[in-house]
Amino acid sequence: MPKAVIYRANSVIYFQGDTADKIFVLQQGRIVMTSADIETGKEIREIIQMGEFFGVKSALGRYPREESVAVIQDASVLAFSVPEFEAFAGSNTRIIIKMLKVFSNQLRRVHKQVENLMEKPIAGGSENGLFHTGEYYLRNRMYSQARYIFGRYLTYYPTGKLADQATKYLQAAEAAFARHGDGKGPAPIAGPAFKDDPAGASAPPPPPNAAVRTPEAQPLSDVAKEYYNGVSLFSQEKFADALNAFKRIIVSDDPEYTGKAQFDAGRCLFALGQWDGSIKHFTGIVQTTPKHPDMADILFMMGSAWEKKGDAQRAKGFFGKVLSMSADDDSSARIKAKKALNALGGA
Amino acid sequence: MSDLSAFMRFARSFQPGEMIFSEYEPGDSFYLIQSGRVRITKIVGDLEKNIDILQPPEIFGEMAILEGAPRSATAIAVDLVKVLEFNRANFELLMMGNPQIALRLLKLFAKRIYDQKRRFMILKLEDPQAKIADVFLMLDETQASGGGEASIGDGREFKVTVDDVAHWAGMSIGEVQTILGHFSNQRRVELYQDRVIVKNIMDFQRFVNSKRKKT
Repeated sequence: MPKAVIYRANSVIYFQGDTADKIFVLQQGRIVMTSADIETGKEIREIIQMGEFFGVKSALGRYPREESVAVIQDASVLAFSVPEFEAFAGSNTRIIIKMLKVFSNQLRRVHKQVENLMEKPIAGGSENGLFHTGEYYLRNRMYSQARYIFGRYLTYYPTGKLADQATKYLQAAEAAFARHGDGKGPAPIAGPAFKDDPAGASAPPPPPNAAVRTPEAQPLSDVAKEYYNGVSLFSQEKFADALNAFKRIIVSDDPEYTGKAQFDAGRCLFALGQWDGSIKHFTGIVQTTPKHPDMADILFMMGSAWEKKGDAQRAKGFFGKVLSMSADDDSSARIKAKKALNALGGA
Repeated sequence: MSDLSAFMRFARSFQPGEMIFSEYEPGDSFYLIQSGRVRITKIVGDLEKNIDILQPPEIFGEMAILEGAPRSATAIAVDLVKVLEFNRANFELLMMGNPQIALRLLKLFAKRIYDQKRRFMILKLEDPQAKIADVFLMLDETQASGGGEASIGDGREFKVTVDDVAHWAGMSIGEVQTILGHFSNQRRVELYQDRVIVKNIMDFQRFVNSKRKKT
């Protein structure tokens, strides 16, 4: 049970730097909290409100108090040990949520302050960082990790300055993974990528000419580039330009990208408000590629297009199909279809 | 652990070795481990450094609550890993029904706020020697509450490497080596492969205080 403690005016409940083990809540009286601003060193004084908790962070995080708390007018406070506070908060979730919000704001602010101070974190920021992380895994023959990272790189930076290289590395990782499996085979790229790296990288020196050059690597990368260019245009809402890019890929008969491009071309038509065009286009995909990986989204957009055309009956049919697809497909299409169906008054 | 069956629609699983997210990737979700272990790593120089191995019911990726913050480390599944994946939009839903998880997140945030604040204060010091001394003060502050078995009088032993210190101080490894060598010549520290002994932590405290007040 938390204890009620009375503090007289002019006494101090704790000093900055004290070891922390108690959490307090003010019941009555007047107390003030004094701390130093981490940026300017200026003193910050805050009057604690009735019912307000204090000393929470340092007690929970087990670090020294960051502020001093002094009593201005005789005060009564409840003092919790950490386990007592946990028991209390466990049955008052709202209090924790409120604190979580305050904490996440504080965290956001201090995170920004640190970031501003670290003006030169790594050259090129996150984009280069992500790329170099991928290189590390590729060099060390952890192909599935490398594949993941270069895939992400191309998703986030489809027209980035390293996109060409990332596409090549992605293919190298895929090929090496298929051929050798993780950790096996020659490393697709040699040596440390950073010039200033200490000698003795963890990977054994690969034999010369070890770089994996899949035969299809060269022609593929152009299509890939075009594809990611289309994705980038789409994200900039330049739907007509994106549609043209995807159309060029569809005729390129590269099996890896045509399927994706077909789907994306349909998305463009839909985004352009061409309801009939998109329905026709998607119907084509459904007929030729019934197992298309994006089928749920395709059906959802077909339903939405019918809805836009004012045909609620057909729309419902498509939304219903999305929901009848395998239940573990917890996609956004499913959630959206459910909402749309409800809005139309159910199945 | 609380009943999370209502949250199965947030469930995801990862195969052993599969990457959950990579450092520098923009992050928008955080994870609650339900089964299996997750390795948290970072590429430092040209080495993959293990930062932590997490297991149920730990939380990771929680910095995603902050807007636009790129991931600061990589998460890889060690075993078959099952997680619940949340984002800013739906986390309140999870917290409302699960005070124990909310409490865990609260503690994690408390720790992160402290880490970041201390980091800020270290970076803010202009004197590179003071930066390094302050890294040890920070480590002492957290170590003291966690048992502090490695302290005799004002002497302190820290299980850290030069790399760790460089990371915290935001300095290059070479620079940190030089300064630690200098401290060692002054007999203020003893350097070992895997640890550093600070002879008199109060001496470091006074030194840092004198540098901090001037700003």
